[in-house]
Amino acid sequence: MATNEKQYAMVIDQNLCIGCWTCAVGCKEINNEPLGFWWNRILTAAPADTTGESSSAVADPASDNIDVPHGTFPDVEMAYLPVACQHCEDAPCVKVCPVGATFRRDDGTVLVDYERCIGCRYCIAACPYGIRVFNWGDAQLEPDFTVGYGREYRTDGRLVFTPDRPRGVVEKCTFCVERIDVGEEPFCVTVCPVGARIFGDLNDPNSEVSELVEEQGATQMLSDLGTRPRVFYIPVNEPRKTRE
Amino acid sequence: MDIGIERTPEHGRPVPFRAAGGGLALLVLLGVSAWIYQLTQGLIATGMRDVVSWGLYIFTFAFFVGLSAGGLIMASGAEVFGVKALRPLARIGVLTAAVSVAIAAMTIIPDLGRPERIYNLLLHPRWSSPLIWDVIIIICYFVFAVVDLWVLAGRRPSSQKAKILRVLAYVGLPMAVLLHSITAWIFGLQISRPWWNTALMAPLFVTSAILSGTALVALVALGAHRFDRLHVPEETWRAVCGLMAAAIAVDLFLVGSDYITLLWGNVPRERAALDLILPGGSWQWLFWLEWVVGGLVPFVLLVVPRFRSRLSLVAVASVLVLVGVYAFRIELVVGGMIKPLLHLPPGIAIGTYKITQTSFQFTGMYHPTWVEYSIVAGLMALLALLVTLGYRWLRGLPAEASG
Repeated sequence: MATNEKQYAMVIDQNLCIGCWTCAVGCKEINNEPLGFWWNRILTAAPADTTGESSSAVADPASDNIDVPHGTFPDVEMAYLPVACQHCEDAPCVKVCPVGATFRRDDGTVLVDYERCIGCRYCIAACPYGIRVFNWGDAQLEPDFTVGYGREYRTDGRLVFTPDRPRGVVEKCTFCVERIDVGEEPFCVTVCPVGARIFGDLNDPNSEVSELVEEQGATQMLSDLGTRPRVFYIPVNEPRKTRE
Repeated sequence: MDIGIERTPEHGRPVPFRAAGGGLALLVLLGVSAWIYQLTQGLIATGMRDVVSWGLYIFTFAFFVGLSAGGLIMASGAEVFGVKALRPLARIGVLTAAVSVAIAAMTIIPDLGRPERIYNLLLHPRWSSPLIWDVIIIICYFVFAVVDLWVLAGRRPSSQKAKILRVLAYVGLPMAVLLHSITAWIFGLQISRPWWNTALMAPLFVTSAILSGTALVALVALGAHRFDRLHVPEETWRAVCGLMAAAIAVDLFLVGSDYITLLWGNVPRERAALDLILPGGSWQWLFWLEWVVGGLVPFVLLVVPRFRSRLSLVAVASVLVLVGVYAFRIELVVGGMIKPLLHLPPGIAIGTYKITQTSFQFTGMYHPTWVEYSIVAGLMALLALLVTLGYRWLRGLPAEASG
């Protein structure tokens, strides 16, 4: 971890998440995601899914459908697991990209260069979290106009967001790079109606994310793979001790 | 030393080069048209989506890479391991190697969303990506195969030629092993796909490459024998049959050990793919194709002397072997992708939308479209056409009976 640089991270409190998909829809809105694209999804999981060291021992799903709890009434349990790009420190997608189109900024944000991607989709094969989306054809929008941020965004000259999707390239969650670069939060954090998402700088020991990660035992998804995600989860049944 | 192509004048049929060539050229044209159509639409014209995001093009790529092993087995096997019986097939072997690896490289192009940016592989290579290693080894292997072919076909004093071929054989063998291993590591190194993430992947690719590559050389030689009166000594057929039978056995042994490891361990996320493929699973046809149609049946045909002595049955066995190896490639790619590691509802967004249909897939689905079938048919036809033309060119050269 670089010392002077900001190191962005997000913490998601599963105790608070109500599975409403507002963050997912807000993500679609700000990023003008075409129909069929979901950079951010809310999976229905068992509470144990993200607890402890063996968080990757994902239990068999209770159902093919969302919102179905595990167990038999009255002993049922369930947890929502919102999943977008985990912005891994050792990101498999970065390692496999043959042309360096997927890259990691010094602040920990993993981004895709829309102008360099050759569309081989090796990153989709390499991502353990299934979060990447490919532009199979021309973007479909309904209604047919651009919403959200609405402009191209470049970092170090590289095109990392555009509302007009080029066909044949891979894309994914950017941590709302265009917002965090001007000191705002990612849009999913802003729109969450229950405050289940917290965004901040891991390098600042006084930040809320630092406290949640260091002292409240926030865990990483599929942590045994060693990808070291920058998205952390506070598992159900381990309520946060302090807030405010 | 006899490394040329020698024909027996007595039997055989007239050469139907024109008809076959015309048919193949039409198929190539179909493939090109389908690719042009795909370029106008994007990869939405294929059956791939974000869950099963690699399909027919990648199976076929891995298959063609495997086919290119044949040449090195014939040429290097003869030199390095002293299997003289394989020498008569050296020219055909190296020809199929050069053609197969070139077509394999071409197969990647329709799979790319942005084929016009392919130069980025050279401008911005990222060295941690196995895909970059594969690009390099494919180029090296192709150049090597062309040089080898040029030496084999060239007019040189035979002692000098033998010396060069010997050196080439010692370079070619490790290069072939690397080619198949690196192609295997594209899959085998991925921690996100438990079905791929086994150290057995490289040995499996090397074995199945020896198997399918030899089968292709056998088929070309059989075709040349039947239509062009190519003379292939009895002992050569025996060596080819023995090699294929041994490769089937080693291949199934490796696949079997992988199955046992997964079944005994019984870790759900590691078993997920295997349960689909084993009898009773929804992709069990792959199991039967790999183990019985492309495994047990050709094995019996190749080891029982009564069957092996009939060339028509050797041809049948070679075709079945190719079917089995192709099934292994499908099993590998689809098995690795169909049930994502994070297998929770509603699943993965597929990236396309049709009104009234969900844009999520919990378990992946993949049905190749006519575009994919046409492009792959075109590539296979191009391989056959180039091998045929190459053979014709080799045949026109002196048979080299000196020495």
